[in-house]
Amino acid sequence: MTALVSRNAWSLGLIGLLLVLVAMTKIIQPDFGLSGLESLSRAALPFAFATAGMAVVVIVGGIDLSVASMMAVCSVTAAVLMPSLGGVAGVLLVLAIGAAMGAINGALIVLTRVPDIVVTLAMLFVWEGTALLILETPGGGVPGWLRQGIGGYFVIPGLPKALLLIAVIVAVIWIPLRRSKSGLAIYATGSHENAAFRSGVVVGRTRVLAYGICGLFCAFGGLSLVSLTGIGEPVPGPYLLASVAAVVLGGVVLGGGRGGLLGPIIAVFVLRIIRTILTLAGVDPNVTTIVEGTVMVAVVMLATVVTYRRVRV
Amino acid sequence: MRNLKMTLTALAMGGAMASSAVAENYTIGVSNTVQGNGWREQMICAMRAQALAEGDVSNLIVSHRNTDSAGQLEDLNNLIAAGVDAIVLNPSNPDALNSAIDKAISQGIVVVAVDAGVSAEGAYILSNNQEEYAYLGAKWLFEQLGGSGDIVYMRGIAGVSADTDRDNGFKRALAENPGINVVHEVFTGWQQDQGKQQMFDFLATGIPFDGVWTSGIDNVIVDAFVESGAPLVPIVGADNAGFVQYLTEVDGLNGAAVTNPGSVGGAGVALAVDVLNGNAPADKLVLVDPVLWENATDQGRATIEAAQNPNLDPEWPVSVTVPGWTDYTMEQIIACEGPGA
Repeated sequence: MTALVSRNAWSLGLIGLLLVLVAMTKIIQPDFGLSGLESLSRAALPFAFATAGMAVVVIVGGIDLSVASMMAVCSVTAAVLMPSLGGVAGVLLVLAIGAAMGAINGALIVLTRVPDIVVTLAMLFVWEGTALLILETPGGGVPGWLRQGIGGYFVIPGLPKALLLIAVIVAVIWIPLRRSKSGLAIYATGSHENAAFRSGVVVGRTRVLAYGICGLFCAFGGLSLVSLTGIGEPVPGPYLLASVAAVVLGGVVLGGGRGGLLGPIIAVFVLRIIRTILTLAGVDPNVTTIVEGTVMVAVVMLATVVTYRRVRV
Repeated sequence: MRNLKMTLTALAMGGAMASSAVAENYTIGVSNTVQGNGWREQMICAMRAQALAEGDVSNLIVSHRNTDSAGQLEDLNNLIAAGVDAIVLNPSNPDALNSAIDKAISQGIVVVAVDAGVSAEGAYILSNNQEEYAYLGAKWLFEQLGGSGDIVYMRGIAGVSADTDRDNGFKRALAENPGINVVHEVFTGWQQDQGKQQMFDFLATGIPFDGVWTSGIDNVIVDAFVESGAPLVPIVGADNAGFVQYLTEVDGLNGAAVTNPGSVGGAGVALAVDVLNGNAPADKLVLVDPVLWENATDQGRATIEAAQNPNLDPEWPVSVTVPGWTDYTMEQIIACEGPGA
């Protein structure tokens, strides 16, 4: 029990912070209730998937600057194909395209030995251009069931479908992977590439796998964008920096090898609810981003101090 | 005792009624997804100034950031959660926001889209009349040429609704002036450098023309004439500060600026308050008609001089008010302060 708590200390701390913030929201706006949590979950959808993808590549010791562009490619592809191809085939195809784009990013890094930050920066522009080629101006459409699939509650009121989707999709992809040999290889490569190599980890293949998983999560992110808006938008949204922020806030060490996906996903909700609170309080929009940044750095500093102390004791 | 109670009740009721007659306490939410653009910043300041000028708006909550349609959905849902009475938004896309707009309308929130339309039923739309914008400028230009001559037609972006509407207005003026002939028609993409290069190319080909109509890429067209040493012809542009200044300063420039005010944002707030107070317009689509400022007559030059203000942000459109809609002063929009701040 204590081991479980101490292993998930960062995530538990974030859950505590999230509960405090929800309570704050309730104090500022007494009407805030289930419907508020439901729209918060929907707003979190694209951020959560972008963050999950980013977390996996950060754990393997890399970074992917093209997450928002890959999401844009997936969203326009879905919006263009679904009216003719139908929803299910469209979803499957988009997921395959996402995983392929991520794997291409990873393969380029492994094969060319150019630093990940440079390769994915270049791919940011490549995927951005690809999205514009597929759809020049916002448009297209998605079937109604996909739009309804993310709104409202699942069976019991109080369980937003969007929240359930995030939990189920991330768990189905991540938990089996993490417990497998490949998952161990991802952590090993992230914490010390040479040591991993000498222990028999196929480092190159592991990295391609991690970037492919990132692309797959980005495909879910792109699908959630079309489901939210009903159209495909070729210009990438603000998901790159937001995902890096949530990964850091979620306790994943930039540099790799440490952290999980639970922390970053909770961090997405923390960052979203901060925006809700600032809107409810009517704070000047230019001050909003300053507050968001300050909260982030304060939490990370505090958490680092706490973790450091515990390690020394 | 009973009398005393009744008197108290009457007093309380009288007090309540009096206070509700004096001023309502509306909270208005604003949502915008382009930050750092002069036109949009003027729009936001006009919203704040108008909310301050309206006596019955006690609070204005502004969501103003660079984001996509999903982000605007988040902002709209947050404004709904904040319990606003009305939402004034500049929509990022006509179809993407309907889920939040429908939710707002079903909760009795008044929704006003400014600058561009939304397809959600029940939302009010208030925007500049783009067809009239083009017609007004083109008609003036054709009159300057005496009803006959060759002109260059520099449009915006193909497929954008504002460009399509302006094209309709331009074609209407063209139909009324059969002596006018379009020698070059081009899309500037509303890009300064692109429009300037296109004008350089037209001047270089040597095909003569007598006038230029632009869709707002205007001052760089004047630059292109001056830099290539070509004699100036009449030019029609928008009320961008740079072009309006040229109309007063550049020797030999005969031109006109047609207003396309970002202050429609202020008009949107005024419309929202009208609807909340039970004075809804008959039609859900409200168009604001532009006006034309020309420097060919003394009266026109005086109008331009009066409109200019050194304190105005040079990136802003020069027309800071929408006559018939906005009630704030120029000082108030420059101060850019809303109620409850």
